Amino acid sequence: MEEGFGPKVIFDLWGIPVTETVVNTWIIMIILVVISLILTRGLKKVPKGKQNVAEALVESINNLTTQTMGEDKKAFSSYMGSLFLLLLFANLFGLIGLRPPTADINTTFAFAGLTFVMIHFFGARRKGIGKYLKGFLEPFPLLLPLNIMGELATPISLSFRLFGNIVGGIIVVSLLYGGLASLSAALGLANFPIFQAGIPVIFHMYFDLFAGVLQTFIFIMLSMVFISLAMD
Amino acid sequence: MQFLEWLMSFDKKAIILSASAIGAGFAMIAGIGPGIGQGYAAGKGAEAVSYNPKGSKQATMVMLLGAAVAETSGILALVVALIMLFANPLVNLTGSGIVIAASAIGAGLSMIAGIGPGIGQGYAAGKGTEMVGKRPKHQSAIVRTMFLGQAVAQTTGIYALIIALVLMFANPLVRLL
Repeated sequence: MEEGFGPKVIFDLWGIPVTETVVNTWIIMIILVVISLILTRGLKKVPKGKQNVAEALVESINNLTTQTMGEDKKAFSSYMGSLFLLLLFANLFGLIGLRPPTADINTTFAFAGLTFVMIHFFGARRKGIGKYLKGFLEPFPLLLPLNIMGELATPISLSFRLFGNIVGGIIVVSLLYGGLASLSAALGLANFPIFQAGIPVIFHMYFDLFAGVLQTFIFIMLSMVFISLAMD
Repeated sequence: MQFLEWLMSFDKKAIILSASAIGAGFAMIAGIGPGIGQGYAAGKGAEAVSYNPKGSKQATMVMLLGAAVAETSGILALVVALIMLFANPLVNLTGSGIVIAASAIGAGLSMIAGIGPGIGQGYAAGKGTEMVGKRPKHQSAIVRTMFLGQAVAQTTGIYALIIALVLMFANPLVRLL
């Protein structure tokens, strides 16, 4: 806890410090690419074995997207599915002892910024620029500053919600481990981390598993709802 | 007057750190809001499931989604408190000690605004759950409206967060002295 809870710099690449966040994101990318390659090897018309798993996954993501956004926006499911898998793996990294990349405001703000750009790009494309910009003057032209602030609040709240949940989780869990270690040391068992074996499981289950999955779901659902509302 | 003199007799960093501790504590008062709001959503969830057990899966899902959004104000307050405790940006700021200390307390007090959105979004979550329990087939339309309403309700909490972050990271007041 001496150096704080920020991400550690692992190495320098041509003068740019590369932090844990970036390295862990690379690991997730490699995992997802390998899983995709394995699941899509030798696709047959009649699915067998692992192709069933792949098809079930894709179908459930397609269903979620069409249910939330509407039938005509099915094309978004490829982006939403990829983001869902990425955020899911990222948030669950705490379970294997690595620092989740979403515990860095840069990562979450990048994704929230992507959602923000998608909201306004697709909204303007679907409605036409003039009609879309006029929408900001509804219901009264005097409310324009409030409408703009409300639009800016979207990426801020999306990014900080995910960041805060994950970082709160890792701080509580690391404080817990520190506390259990000092408890072992106080009982004279400094080299036998016996208390750290079972007790943290419950905290991991809540902060990493439950909160991680729920926050991923929330991020995806809110992105989908905002994009489809901008387009309608 | 005597109190202020006694206060100023301390080292500048000590004053700022004490004020940060007070600010961090004040910020967590925002936990009142989500507590009330999520409790209301949970109550409505139990009610919805009791009236229509067949719609319980959808009702529970909507309750969890709504409650997770209602949690946001508490999370934003936690972020501000954690920044004060573990990544304090004010302790090495050059300027008048008492102005910086007061900014730390102000940043913490600002996050108390999270009580409002916490209760409001929890109310929206509860009503959404109740209605999804009554009419599970309309879940997606109800959830969309609920999310939209909750996002608008969040804006004052975001304003509070922005003021807190400005006071901590881009303090305009130390320069005016």
